[in-house]
Amino acid sequence: MSTAQVSPEPPAPAKSPRSGSPFARDEMIRVGAIALGLLVIVILVPAIFSLYYVDALTQVVVYAIVALGLGVLVGRVGLVSLGQAAVLAIGAWVAARLLFGSGLPFELVLLISGLITMVIGTCVGLPALRLRGLYLALITLMLAGAITVALATLNFPNGGHGFSGYNGAFVHIPAIRRPGIATSDRAYFRYSIIVAALMFLVVLGHLRSKPGRAWAAIRQSESAALAAGINTTLYKLWAFALASFVTGVAGGVLAGAQQYLYSINFQTQDSITLLAVVLMGGAYSMWGAIVAGLLLELLPAILNNIGVSPDWLTILFGIGVLQVLTTAPRGIVEQFPRDMARLYRAITGAARRSSGRSATS
Amino acid sequence: MNGMLGLLHLATFFPPWVDEEPFLVTGLALGGVYALSGVGLIVLFRTTGVLNLSFGAVGAFGALIAWQLINHSGLNQWLAYLVCILFAGVVTLVYGMVFGRALADRDPLVKATASLGVTLILLGIMDLLWTSSGGASRAITLPTDNHGFMVGQVTVSTTDVIALAVGVVITVTTTIFLRVSRLGTAMRAMASDREITATLGVPVARVEACAWFGCGVLAGIAGILLADLVALDATTLTFLVISSIAATLIARLSSIAVTFLAAIVIGVVESMVVPIESLTNYADATPFVLAVIALLVLSRTRALSGERQGF
Repeated sequence: MSTAQVSPEPPAPAKSPRSGSPFARDEMIRVGAIALGLLVIVILVPAIFSLYYVDALTQVVVYAIVALGLGVLVGRVGLVSLGQAAVLAIGAWVAARLLFGSGLPFELVLLISGLITMVIGTCVGLPALRLRGLYLALITLMLAGAITVALATLNFPNGGHGFSGYNGAFVHIPAIRRPGIATSDRAYFRYSIIVAALMFLVVLGHLRSKPGRAWAAIRQSESAALAAGINTTLYKLWAFALASFVTGVAGGVLAGAQQYLYSINFQTQDSITLLAVVLMGGAYSMWGAIVAGLLLELLPAILNNIGVSPDWLTILFGIGVLQVLTTAPRGIVEQFPRDMARLYRAITGAARRSSGRSATS
Repeated sequence: MNGMLGLLHLATFFPPWVDEEPFLVTGLALGGVYALSGVGLIVLFRTTGVLNLSFGAVGAFGALIAWQLINHSGLNQWLAYLVCILFAGVVTLVYGMVFGRALADRDPLVKATASLGVTLILLGIMDLLWTSSGGASRAITLPTDNHGFMVGQVTVSTTDVIALAVGVVITVTTTIFLRVSRLGTAMRAMASDREITATLGVPVARVEACAWFGCGVLAGIAGILLADLVALDATTLTFLVISSIAATLIARLSSIAVTFLAAIVIGVVESMVVPIESLTNYADATPFVLAVIALLVLSRTRALSGERQGF
């Protein structure tokens, strides 16, 4: 086994669209349903929920994008990174610096911070070309640790001058600015949903085209992929570039969402928790990224609201990792519907049996 | 002229040697604990294929239990430390018997990730039981902290000596144990090939159990020593294991001797960077930076695959 696999079985090949048109009919229906669902979320969620939950859901959106990037690495290519929270911190740092230091439009800042993070993340990915499996995971953990230490010293920009943009003497720290069309929390939630939808589309575009097929091949067997003429080096780096790009954009969204960033909120532990929720959500499906975001950010918000310690969640994530790795490698996204289907069958089966018995008697 | 300036610059960059001496002592002590952790991790990894990332969390949990017993149950502190070590050994053994076996055929990466799951569980329980909010600070003070002697201008506490000595002793005895004893030979055989070893009639499960328990015991010892030398804090202790892993990575997860050397170097560099003013804040990054450099240099010469070979 050349590429480390977190699951014993490769994910089922994507349902190929029916021959002829690239958009088969049921595909169109699905896209329509998702678009409609998004529209409903964008309109209804900020209107219904309290500000507390709108803020929490904005965090969910941010971490769903991060989980999406990590899902590409872990689920599609088989590269496990234990440093994605550090990559997110880099994205947030760059975005905050640009937002304080320039008058660039917010969208452009997101794009630039995505690109800069992409360059840095790809450099992190360079050792991945030589290191495999366990070694790669550990080197990303080491790099994340080093970045965390560096960030704690450098601090996040708070409107100061110089390269770091940090001024420890500030009493009144200015807030990180938001886009002009989304200054309120509710509007910013809508804005972040749109950014996230774009990121999901970018990743989907990759998965449905040449890179996606190359990644699937590399994941199954690197030597076979090489023999088939796939430039494995290029596509592995590409995966790191894509994951870092979306994570960098997520960092930008995070900077705008929190408006005040502190290095103490970015710890090495977060990278581990992140991997845990991505595995729990399901690394092989893009829906898994959304589940991961909900687990990581909405669940703590709910628990906090009802006065339960978030430490229970850490324990739950730990149990989740063990459970996913031992029995359910595809995560909640696949397991939950399967369990529900099984339950449904059990109930209908029991009903049928009892009705059959009453009919014969 | 330029040379003079350069020297002057160096002189302001590096503090005088007198300032460095106490940090050398701390560094050697820290390096000793990293070494004993590294040896524990490597023996387990070679025998079972599991890189036990919960090492730090188990040690931290044990140390917190010891603190609880000493400060709230009034237990004799040596008994409390014994409880800590036994607790760490048993927890690690139970994990190994349940999940180590369930994941025996899987990739090393999966096994390591699973041990991260245990880390999260233990971390959550520790934060629940010994909450760190409200500024509660705990400490473990070994009685040997107050004994010591002078080397030149520097006070060396007996704890520092013990830490380094335990590191050396564990490294040496483990090496001899692996060469000489039956169990050690079985472990080396399993590191080479598990299946063939089983065919030869070695009780594989029992040997693995010994490795798990041994690793846990070392985690307990490391937990107490680090709680004394660094801080008794769940998160700090849990993630200090990363520094030991850096040492094992430099040794490419195989050589005990290299692990020991790397651990000492990491400990010493990490401490001696502290008095250098411009680098003080980056001292904690030392293990990571050294490990990354070592991995990059090593991977140039030979591809690292994570496959298992002998010790």
